[in-house]
Amino acid sequence: MLHGAVVIAAKDLRQRFRDRSAIVLGFVAPLLMVALMNAAFSGAGEFHATIGVVDADGGVAGAGILDGLQSPDLADVITVETFPSADAARAAVDDGSVDAAIVLPDGLTAMAAGGPGVPIDVFTSVDADLAGEVTASIATAFTSQIATLRLTAAVAGEAGATDDEVAALLAAAATSPPAIQAVQQATSNEPLEPVAYFGPGMAMFFVLFSVGFTARGFFVERATGTLDRMAAAPIRPEAVLAGKALSVFVYALASLGTMSAVTALVFGASWGNPIGVAVLCVGMAASVVALSALVMGVARTERQAEGLSSMFTFALALLGGSFLFLGSAPPLLRRLAVLTPNGWALRGFTDLATGVDVWTAVAAPVAGMAAFTAVVGAVALVAGRGAVTR
Amino acid sequence: MRSLALAGTALRRIAHDRTSLFFLVALPVVIIVLLGVSVSDQESFRVGVVGSGSGRQGASLTTALETDAAMDVHRFEGADAEDRARTALRRGELDSVVVIPDDADETAAAGAVVEVAVLGEQTNATHRAAGQAVTAVVADQGAVIAAARARATVVAGEQADHVAAAQAMAAGTPPVEVRTTVVDADSGILPGGFAYSTPTMLVLFVFITSVAGSAQMIESRRLGIHERMLAGPVTPWTIVAGETASHLTVALLQSVLIVGVGSLVFGVSWGDPVAATALVVLWALVGTGAGVLAGSLFRTPEQATAIGVSAGMAAGMLGGCMWPLEIVGDTMRTVGHAMPHAWAVDAWVELLSRGGGLGDIAAQLAVLAGFAAVLLTAATLRLRARLTA
Repeated sequence: MLHGAVVIAAKDLRQRFRDRSAIVLGFVAPLLMVALMNAAFSGAGEFHATIGVVDADGGVAGAGILDGLQSPDLADVITVETFPSADAARAAVDDGSVDAAIVLPDGLTAMAAGGPGVPIDVFTSVDADLAGEVTASIATAFTSQIATLRLTAAVAGEAGATDDEVAALLAAAATSPPAIQAVQQATSNEPLEPVAYFGPGMAMFFVLFSVGFTARGFFVERATGTLDRMAAAPIRPEAVLAGKALSVFVYALASLGTMSAVTALVFGASWGNPIGVAVLCVGMAASVVALSALVMGVARTERQAEGLSSMFTFALALLGGSFLFLGSAPPLLRRLAVLTPNGWALRGFTDLATGVDVWTAVAAPVAGMAAFTAVVGAVALVAGRGAVTR
Repeated sequence: MRSLALAGTALRRIAHDRTSLFFLVALPVVIIVLLGVSVSDQESFRVGVVGSGSGRQGASLTTALETDAAMDVHRFEGADAEDRARTALRRGELDSVVVIPDDADETAAAGAVVEVAVLGEQTNATHRAAGQAVTAVVADQGAVIAAARARATVVAGEQADHVAAAQAMAAGTPPVEVRTTVVDADSGILPGGFAYSTPTMLVLFVFITSVAGSAQMIESRRLGIHERMLAGPVTPWTIVAGETASHLTVALLQSVLIVGVGSLVFGVSWGDPVAATALVVLWALVGTGAGVLAGSLFRTPEQATAIGVSAGMAAGMLGGCMWPLEIVGDTMRTVGHAMPHAWAVDAWVELLSRGGGLGDIAAQLAVLAGFAAVLLTAATLRLRARLTA
């Protein structure tokens, strides 16, 4: 039996690799997608914006903020260009010579000492959305000190402090450290690179296409009598099925393995611990075998097999997070992902890539994929009893 | 007339084929709805709070974060709260995690600095922005404590006795406002960053569907249907016209569907109707050209689906359908504009975000018309050559 299965698997694989479409879907397309994503996102890390600043305040508060904007800490993110008036800055944003602009209004220093509130204007452009966001958040960060001083002046004044006392309190508040402070901390994990998510995501999307190839090939063989001839040979039907399963398994594993190796070597995408990656790839390949068996068992014609497998491919890719980043998806969708083998594998891959301990990262996904394979495989066996000899 | 009958037959075949309908109707609608829901879910920062129960400081900071409209706060409590919050952050389910120390009250009473940890990946723009929003709320809390300390020196008493008065005053004082104005926009339908949107999905899907849809044409060719037709009083031009008409109809119907879903489900306003119609029709023509060309170039239907879908996705990525070209480097932006997709997306940005009209997208429309003309001519000549060979 074993020999027969291996011979059949080898023949199927030879056929598969001679088919240009199979090579494209299993190897060329996913690599192309990852290459494009990598090219697109590798530029994203080098964010830099030119920001226009108008100091209409002319007081200490305005000067302080301007100093802060020009500090070396921010130099690799923004370049500051000063403008004489709000209108000039606005025009510069509109014609694209700066990405965004901040207007420090007249009365900012007075506001810090308890004067009336004046808004800080930020001008942004649709062409530089990210720059606008960054500028607005920088402006907000600088307003907290002003808010502290203003509140201190107001509270002290209301409590009956004299002007001299208020001035002394403000001087003290301006130099003393804040009572409560946010400390930005990097997480101890590796950052989740887009390529570490969409690399495996795309690899699994394209591997799912092999379900269609396998199922269609099976029906073609039945129509052309190849299966009948195999049945006439001294091989048991189980060996035929095992051969088919083996060929899908090897193809899927080869595709996933190539993807992880090439993206790691060429694009420097780290998929994490290689043993963990290998285990997840094996789990995914087994799920693909079960899915192929299901399509062969349920479909009655080549056409049905084709339709059913494409729907499975896209539905699983969608639910399992190959198309959209599951972390930002609604919680319901995140929960649905555990119904898909690729969703489980992707969770494992992202955990591995962000430096989680290998067994912790792999255990639950392997269990999830095993459950999927068992359930789908069982349904396929029941539905497809006699499919070979039918 | 005969070509219309031919197109009609092709369309009826599609209408009866459940798989084709799945890809033409169900898949784009589901993807657009899911993406739309994901994007609209992200209007506020998702912030996890650990230690919300740690005394007065923890409670008041958590309340302040929860009342901030820009934040969607998830409290983490219990034994492994911080681990669970860190896992959610690592998987991108949260944008920031705030850890309030257990001894915050004691530290504040002793007059020392209470350090609130704000966890996030510093290389991630959203994490950074969320971290800054959290920092602003923490700073407001700091302002209250500073004011309470100041009040304690004016009126006798402990700092803690004056927190309520400072809080009341802070609530009555309008915040220092940062007012953002987009100088060149009417609306923000095409969101920036990594967000997707209905107009770019229209560009992506109409193209992919048309190229993948050429599988049917290849089947007709392989089965010899075209040859048998040529045996009758039918010229190759009729067949070319028929195939083109059926592709164009499918492309236009799918565009109408996506425009409809966008308007009804997400309230997308598609801008100036004349300009939008011109753009939709020209894009359908570009898709048709690519589809018919694919149908005359590929040998098997599998090639059309395999290579067609992959090429369509790749072109969409290059052309800014999956992410805005703002975030890519100059080279990639230039390369991207070798794809018709980039010009169509540019035109939609002009129409929707800047309220442009027909005149404002004339350049993009001209380029698209050029693409459509080249693709359609190549497709026609190639298919005709195949038919008469």
